[in-house]
Amino acid sequence: MSAAVDAPGSVALRVQGVGMRFGGLWALSDVSFEVERGSVVGLIGPNGSGKTTLMNIVSGVYKPTTGEVLYGGKRIADVPTHEVCHLGIARTFQVVKPFANLTVRENVAVGAMYGRNGAKRSTRASFERADALVEMVGLARVARHAASDLTIPDRKRLEVAKALALDPDVLLLDEVMAGLNATEVEEALQLLRDVNARGVTLIVVEHLMKAIVSISTTVVVLAEGKKIAQGAPSDVLASPQVIEAYLGSRWAKRQEQLKIVEAERRQAAEAQRREPGA
Amino acid sequence: MTSLVARRISLGGITGNPIAFLCVLVVMAVLLAVPALHSDYLQVVFRNILMYAAMAYGWNLIGGYTGYVSFGNVAFFGIGAYCSAVLSSHGVQNLFAYVAVAMVVNALFAIVVGLPVLRLRGHYFGIATLGIALAIGDIVENLDVLGASSGIRLPQVDEAHFSVYYYAMWLVALGSMLATYAIARSKLGYAFVAIRENEDAAAVLGISATRYKITAWAIGGMMAGAAGAVFAPANGFIDPSITFALDSNVFPIAMTILGGIGTVAGPFIGALLLAGANELLQRFFVSGHTLFFGAMIVLIVLLLPRGLVWLFGLRGGVRAWLRSLQTYKA
Repeated sequence: MSAAVDAPGSVALRVQGVGMRFGGLWALSDVSFEVERGSVVGLIGPNGSGKTTLMNIVSGVYKPTTGEVLYGGKRIADVPTHEVCHLGIARTFQVVKPFANLTVRENVAVGAMYGRNGAKRSTRASFERADALVEMVGLARVARHAASDLTIPDRKRLEVAKALALDPDVLLLDEVMAGLNATEVEEALQLLRDVNARGVTLIVVEHLMKAIVSISTTVVVLAEGKKIAQGAPSDVLASPQVIEAYLGSRWAKRQEQLKIVEAERRQAAEAQRREPGA
Repeated sequence: MTSLVARRISLGGITGNPIAFLCVLVVMAVLLAVPALHSDYLQVVFRNILMYAAMAYGWNLIGGYTGYVSFGNVAFFGIGAYCSAVLSSHGVQNLFAYVAVAMVVNALFAIVVGLPVLRLRGHYFGIATLGIALAIGDIVENLDVLGASSGIRLPQVDEAHFSVYYYAMWLVALGSMLATYAIARSKLGYAFVAIRENEDAAAVLGISATRYKITAWAIGGMMAGAAGAVFAPANGFIDPSITFALDSNVFPIAMTILGGIGTVAGPFIGALLLAGANELLQRFFVSGHTLFFGAMIVLIVLLLPRGLVWLFGLRGGVRAWLRSLQTYKA
């Protein structure tokens, strides 16, 4: 390991002026940020703000219309999709994609066989690695069940195990906590902290604000395809721009409704006060 | 949910039910005794069963394990047969040479044709492969070097021993079966299945879909090609209508589905039953046998949608079977 490249704090991934157009719609425009090695970057934004599109570009599934993603001096767009994991980038899918007719441990073993260290692993070694990861994400009890039997939270766990089987340096997690209950979210966060503690850089897309705040070192906020803020979680969430873009609509509506309710109540009280006199 | 778990267990993993595989190996051993019956008729019947089994194994790799339903695998069989015919007309009288050349030519053909065609998915791939099979048949039919539509006659490689073809075909079928077993248990088998289950997810896990699809197609093509290479001299004569027949294209697919798609035992069980039943029906119902044959296939698909191998893993008798049919109605 050369210290210059792998030292925590050095830049692992550089997103430069990335834009993505689908037909006439720019899903992303001119998004730039850097991801430090060993950090946890939370990527947040309202529905349709371009988070998953960005994940698809970073993981090499989409080629950006403009700009580029650089990883270890390489442009991700120049690397075929199946080679991206060999560079050290792994991802989970928001819409989970398990191999339905394979067992849980077989699913994970495929990652161990063909991922970054796959060429060096025998079938047996791949299954050993898979068993360890299945245990780690808490799926040991269903290790020999078909992936199609799993509940949604378990499918999310399976996605994480498959991605970890690729032995990544950078792990992209696309809404792995959606649909989990409070206890499960806590377990998931602990798992991600453990993974991060082993030196894996995380980019986490999540709607659960509590989870993002508790795990991220940096937060990047997208709205309508543009980056509107970046910084420490508490600073970013306090910024008026983010509140307006991200929390704005619902929060504002709530305030509006509260005002109406309040007004109605006041009117009713007023009417009642007049009633006895009438 | 429990029924789904049961389904998985009954499939018996990536090679299919191990008991079914053992039974098939036993039947294969018994089939070695067929030439001892001194009946040329029976020898031809069982040689054809073994031939179809090898072709079904070839189809099973791409259609069953990798999930790419090909309608063009007969092209490999035909090319294999014509390799033998060309070698034979140049004075080569060696079955091993026929099979070896056929396998090499088919592997090259699979790579050259597979590079563009295997970029297609689903129905488009199926149609393209059908086009290839038809095109190859037409090309051969118009090439005078290959005897055009009047075909090529091949002399016997061993005048004294007709059974040499039987044993050769037996070896081709056994080789295809054991190769399938070895592949299914290896990393290669998991790459094929991952592509079948979800090609995009497979790519993200580091699997080059194009590379492994071509590998599956080429290995399957070698199996069908080897069968064709033995068939040509055994039959003594080939022409495009024999070697690129519709039957030879459809039978291996029906056999694999009947036996159990994506399993090691399935193609052989399917070939044994389907080719055997076809032979019997032809003997007893000279004119209407295709009707019975068709009805049989329809019934099997309705009643045993996962193939016969699945029955080996079924626990709970008739009731479990009926319940499984209900889970299968989409």
